[in-house]
Amino acid sequence: MRTQKNADCGLRIADLKSEIANPKSEIKTITVAVAGNPNSGKSTLINAIAGTRLYVGNWPGVTVEKKSALFEYEGTNIKLVDLPGTYSLSPYTQEEIIARDYLVHEKPDVIVNVVDATNLERNLYLTVQLLELGIPVVIALNIYDEAEKKGYKIDTKAMEKILGVEVIPTVATKKMGLDNLLKAITNITNSVSMHRPKKLNYGSDIESSVSIVEKQIQNSYSQLSEKYPLRWLAFKLMERDSHVMEEINIENQSFIEEATRHLKKAHGEDMESIMADARYAVAAGLTREVLKKPEFKKMELTEKIDKIVLNRFLGIPIFLAAMWLVFKLTFDVSAPFGDWIDAMTAGPFRRWAEVILGFAHAPAWTASLATDGIIAGVGFVLVFVPVIFAMMFFITFLEGSGYMARAAFVMDRAMHSMGLHGKSFIPMLLGFGCNVPAVYATRVLENPRDKALTSLLIPLMSCGARLPVYVVFIGAFFTAYVGTVLWSLYVMGIALAVLMGIIFKRTLFKGESPMFIMELPPYRMPSFRSLMIHTWEKGKHFLIKAGTYILAVSILVWFLLNLPWGVEHKKDSYLGKMGQVIAPVLAPLGFGNWEAASSLVSGLIAKEIVVGTMGEIYVQKAADENKETPTLTEDLKEMGTSFAGAVKDSAANLISTFGMASLSSKESTEETKERTPLRDVIKGQFTPLTAYAFITFVLLYMPCIVVAIAMRQEFGTWKWFGIAFAYQMVLAWVVAFVIYQGGRLLGLG
Amino acid sequence: MNFVDIALMAVIIAGALYLLYRSLWKKKGHCQGCDSETCNVKKKFNPKH
Repeated sequence: MRTQKNADCGLRIADLKSEIANPKSEIKTITVAVAGNPNSGKSTLINAIAGTRLYVGNWPGVTVEKKSALFEYEGTNIKLVDLPGTYSLSPYTQEEIIARDYLVHEKPDVIVNVVDATNLERNLYLTVQLLELGIPVVIALNIYDEAEKKGYKIDTKAMEKILGVEVIPTVATKKMGLDNLLKAITNITNSVSMHRPKKLNYGSDIESSVSIVEKQIQNSYSQLSEKYPLRWLAFKLMERDSHVMEEINIENQSFIEEATRHLKKAHGEDMESIMADARYAVAAGLTREVLKKPEFKKMELTEKIDKIVLNRFLGIPIFLAAMWLVFKLTFDVSAPFGDWIDAMTAGPFRRWAEVILGFAHAPAWTASLATDGIIAGVGFVLVFVPVIFAMMFFITFLEGSGYMARAAFVMDRAMHSMGLHGKSFIPMLLGFGCNVPAVYATRVLENPRDKALTSLLIPLMSCGARLPVYVVFIGAFFTAYVGTVLWSLYVMGIALAVLMGIIFKRTLFKGESPMFIMELPPYRMPSFRSLMIHTWEKGKHFLIKAGTYILAVSILVWFLLNLPWGVEHKKDSYLGKMGQVIAPVLAPLGFGNWEAASSLVSGLIAKEIVVGTMGEIYVQKAADENKETPTLTEDLKEMGTSFAGAVKDSAANLISTFGMASLSSKESTEETKERTPLRDVIKGQFTPLTAYAFITFVLLYMPCIVVAIAMRQEFGTWKWFGIAFAYQMVLAWVVAFVIYQGGRLLGLG
Repeated sequence: MNFVDIALMAVIIAGALYLLYRSLWKKKGHCQGCDSETCNVKKKFNPKH
């Protein structure tokens, strides 16, 4: 590659010459905008070139704001700007406005137009508009391998000749064609490219009108021709583009009317439609020239799968079944690793902390803070990191495969019943990972009403932070129905979101729901590397949380449990007293004790802290306190062998996909009992009915603090968070009340 | 409980409160997005990374 200077002597001499001509202190930086249709692989291409980890997903609309990556190529700094995917440069959606404003006002040195080779005609419609901007363009003909598989033959040389731009076949997922693409970019900026973008001809009548408008702009508004690409501006004036008209604010517009009158009369349409038709005609004509499809089209795998998955009767049951399978696999794969971490934090880590603090002659209370506070609090959360990573892995797989886009499609009808459309389901799906990026993802929605309503419903989507609470209680009470109970909580969240949406539609958000048109991407097998990267990206913030605010809260909870200093019973501590004040409100729900109340209060910071606080309240000493203390070597040996055992158990669970999970197997339950004192204590404090009411309450009660901050940022006001807080508190109380009191009436309590 | 213990406790509590403020408010919960430093990175092009 270009950065390998010692490949041969010739290259070295060339590099030397180049360094003399361009001293290193003057490294050129060029800006390259990456534009293209949604789901054409722009973010994947940037990740492949620059080694970044921009979020990608096999559905349209993943990138909702421009992002950039800087890297060095052959002595040139290249800044790649990832623009949101758009089908055109009309100013109708947020994505189109962001992309267009950047291209027109920031004037990048080059535009890389990522074109989906399997969908040439539709993608070329945008290409045609990009060429109007007069900025040098390089086409990355992406997903080229799939086009070849379909039997498409694309004459790239003919494309280059017609458009006057270089066309580079690429496969971003396999890093194919990237070097050629970068070479084409630097050739343009070094002025050695032989390609000059052609002015596409939209027909003599349109062209004559454009030239009249162009001349008028040059004569009367010369300052505008310096600020905007002339031909593009002329088109926008002819189309009466509202954003441009507002921006330039020209008084005398009669010349535009004169130039376009005959066109409107001849076509019987407004100028915007006439121009759209002309551009489509060019894109269609170009496609006919360069693309040859096989004569007999066989039914593709995507179509075959969609016939079943998108069936109006089967769609939702299949979605529910897919989610159930995800939860089941999540438990099967992760439970042995969770048990392993649990054993380590309750055993060796606790012992080591005590030994180290003893050596340092630290005050006795610091040993308690370290073991009963930090290790108990943070450790109980860390136990669930494998579950969270496993869940994120399967969700990433569903996203990358293209199934999540279908989920949005099948949910469209349900979403309409609450005044939204399927596009709102995409941020809600993201909410299964973490509610915070889901709130930010509502930017993809054009309508402020949809955005606010979707944000209000997102906290009902069960995020990964709630998993630790579910796992503790399900592991203690519902070992035989692990997957089903977990699935019921997620389905409950979705069902209540639909119900609340209907209520909001009739109260706060009256009005018709907009139409939903969504492109369904083809099914793709996500690469293992991409799966691992994006699972890590989604899951790592739980690790960061454990090391930052969960750690901070664990310390504060320990102090609250031990102040006033020397307090004998935790019940009489500050935290205990606060819990006692709140507990009566929770009594009708079946968990009116101060321990549960205090845990729920600390969970307002982040839901997984509920488990950490319970760990600090309930578990005082390590389970193996009376056993003989093992040596460091024995501890390390035990860590290694038990980890190998966890790997073996996890693999066995995965193989027997529908066999019982380790949490539900008899052997493992016995093991778990021995290893997890928290579950034992919880079993004495709760019944299956109160446990289910409690985890339902955790699912529904107010969104965490970070979601509150995200809502404040997105809407510029605390109003929507206030509404979310109020309705969720009431909803959580009512649903938990119905479950507990209803269960008692049915004799389940 | 002597003065050193009280001072140490005060430092630990202040540190925990600062960590809470920094990670929740300033770092926005360390959630995905540009705030978690997934964008604007500078690297050399390496086709094998």
